[in-house]
Amino acid sequence: MTCFRLTSRALAATLSDGAVLLNLHTKRYFSLNETGTRVWTHLQRGTRAEPIIATLLAEYEVDELEARRTVLSLLDELVGEGLVERVECS
Amino acid sequence: MSLATTAVAEPTLVLGGDSGALHWQTGAVRGETYAERTVLTHVDTPAVLHVEHGRLRRGPGYAAAPALVRRELARTGAILRLRERGAYVVHASGVVDHGGRAWLFIGNSGSGKSTLAFALARRGWRVLGDDGVVLRPAVDGTLVAHGWRDPLRVSAALCGIFPELAPLAPLIDEQDERRRVPADVPFAARAPVAACICLEPGGCDGLARQSETAAMAALIVQSPWVLLGDAHAPAHFDALRRVASTVPCWRLVNTDRQLHDIGRTIDSLRS
Repeated sequence: MTCFRLTSRALAATLSDGAVLLNLHTKRYFSLNETGTRVWTHLQRGTRAEPIIATLLAEYEVDELEARRTVLSLLDELVGEGLVERVECS
Repeated sequence: MSLATTAVAEPTLVLGGDSGALHWQTGAVRGETYAERTVLTHVDTPAVLHVEHGRLRRGPGYAAAPALVRRELARTGAILRLRERGAYVVHASGVVDHGGRAWLFIGNSGSGKSTLAFALARRGWRVLGDDGVVLRPAVDGTLVAHGWRDPLRVSAALCGIFPELAPLAPLIDEQDERRRVPADVPFAARAPVAACICLEPGGCDGLARQSETAAMAALIVQSPWVLLGDAHAPAHFDALRRVASTVPCWRLVNTDRQLHDIGRTIDSLRS
């Protein structure tokens, strides 16, 4: 089973309107809106994608297909930028 | 649902690296950073300054280098030493109001940091620095801006607007592309941070509240040493976060009108 967790090269600042992420290796920074920051909060604990999708379904007016698509898309993006990594979990 | 927007940092640091060192450059100063030491060299003159365990040590060519070269190396070395002590330089001007609170103007070179600081100094505000201030979180959680002891310099082209600058015209540094003169202003040592204003030159004046994420992004760009990614980076990043999250920030698109209006602009923010 695949889990997602933050990499050691990521710094994050959680702010009132979102978050700013900084990759210390690539020197690129990113901003997340409020919803993206909710996803990021999950990732700080290390998690599978399913609990994140469930949170968005519970907290936002979005259908499951859309929630799954956007969460998986963001996770792919964060993995591609080296801010998050995939690890095996039980 | 849009989850993320991305932006590429535009650091004034240019970085590269190999297995043993991080190579970077800011302005005319190059750095090689290893675990506990940094070697600083200058692009124009073979002069070396070492930063080792919080101390500066002169290397080959330093003593014989021109004063400007020594000053640029020493400034960079001082910035690195301050980071080791939990104090972080931001490319900003800082001025202290009559209530003893610091207002920071951040922005790129030429955005108006120095001239607006000078315009406020004419109203009795005290200056912390015109091209850099040092942020240090205090024990009680407040953020304190400390002065950077460079003289405030403003463009000699402003002599027509500020007559008191005219007698200083002979003091123009001919090596300075911006033809600035040192201005005689009252300085302050430190003050708690009241607000930050992100400056952008523009065709017409405009003032808007800056979101915390936008302010944080601007602070990263203007305090690029956080990008060194060393052991001090997390604390440095957190100090910038505290500015963005605890201090109100505005974005000011400014024209020459602000040379006269900046006092009223800030009064409007305070009210």
